[in-house]
Amino acid sequence: MPPRIPTKSSASSASALVRSSFVSPCTSQCLPSCRAGFSTTPSLERSTNLRRAFMQWQKTIGANFKQPKPEGGHNYLSNSNQPFPLNPQFRSDRVLDEQARELIWEKVMRQGETLKAVSAELGVDVTRVAAVVRLKEVEKDWVSKGKKLATPYSKAVLGMLPTKSFRPGVQNQPLEPINELHIHTATQKQLFWPTAESRQFTREDAAKAFHAKMLSADKRVPHPELIQMEKNLLHGMSPDEARAHFISAAEQSERMAAEKQVKKAMAEEQATKRINTQRFEFRFKEVDSELVGKDGRAPNVVGWKYGMPHYDRKKGMVKIPTSVP
Amino acid sequence: MTIKIRLARFGRRNAPFYNIVVAHARTARNSKPLEVIGTYDPIPKADPYDDSGRLHKDIKLDTLRAKYWIGVGAQPTDTMWRLLSMVGIMEPKYRSQQPRIAPQLPADIKKPEATSSA
Repeated sequence: MPPRIPTKSSASSASALVRSSFVSPCTSQCLPSCRAGFSTTPSLERSTNLRRAFMQWQKTIGANFKQPKPEGGHNYLSNSNQPFPLNPQFRSDRVLDEQARELIWEKVMRQGETLKAVSAELGVDVTRVAAVVRLKEVEKDWVSKGKKLATPYSKAVLGMLPTKSFRPGVQNQPLEPINELHIHTATQKQLFWPTAESRQFTREDAAKAFHAKMLSADKRVPHPELIQMEKNLLHGMSPDEARAHFISAAEQSERMAAEKQVKKAMAEEQATKRINTQRFEFRFKEVDSELVGKDGRAPNVVGWKYGMPHYDRKKGMVKIPTSVP
Repeated sequence: MTIKIRLARFGRRNAPFYNIVVAHARTARNSKPLEVIGTYDPIPKADPYDDSGRLHKDIKLDTLRAKYWIGVGAQPTDTMWRLLSMVGIMEPKYRSQQPRIAPQLPADIKKPEATSSA
């Protein structure tokens, strides 16, 4: 059996062929022979029509697409948000650019606007607003500590993606729909619920039909305050007044969420006894061991359970943290 | 038969985690106990966003049940005695957790001189 890896002489003759057929852009530093070192496939002896056409295209129209646009933004072949021209399914969504992120941080941290108000004003999902603020805080912390940022990397990535920026003080086009209803597992089953025709069956009733404790769709959306604002507008309230109502409602909901969090932390602190020793702090948390249930297998019982498999290493189980502490 | 308050090892290799259990003394370590009254995570952990280097250990304990079992004669193991003494259920067995300070010597007693020969 002949050796599959081409010998040095054959490789050099092939490279001579390649070099004679068309002018290679790279010359002295990377000779074709050294490039072929990894591949055991012999290079094609003649250039195909398609390849020649590609080379021609690269020199003429294709030269425009070699570098990203100097003014920023993506430079795709199809001139839309479709990086791969033959794959219309793959489309890149627009991402917030530096200025937009700075604006969001400014609004939340400097001007003290609520996350919901900023989200509704700019049309950015409220979780994205929160994430932008968190990451900006980290960035500013790094800058203040003199840590080096990966700015060239960020610039390169943003140069390849379609971006979205906002102009402060004016009505902006929204980035994404912000008030979408997340699918609740309880609503994923098909339900036949006989009701009298004479009866009004509202969203509240529909929620109750799915689960006794479920909230209606109007309350489960990220911005129930926006629904109230639209109702106010329908009832003839002036836009300025409705906006003021919305902002105060958003502040109220944020305050309530913060109070709830503080209350939870306080309750946890109260149930915990801290004992400091020289090396460690021991935190004793009070639990109720009598919630074991009849067979001792209640789901929220303290400690590891006996006679039950532990699925922590099973395939398909999430093994990384899923939330920010 | 003696009843013990002791630890039962769960967790994985190099990642111990203990159930605080009440069990008959002669039963195997991880056999089904009379009652699980808490957990003990012996691996020290830092608080998130805290870079002071101070570590803590988490213990969950049903103090009411622990007191009950002590009251009816259950015997904690040394480790459990140490933990229970931290929350004031047992008297400290070996030494108090507070650093001890020697009492003042009376004024008329002289300190033994370091240079005196025997």
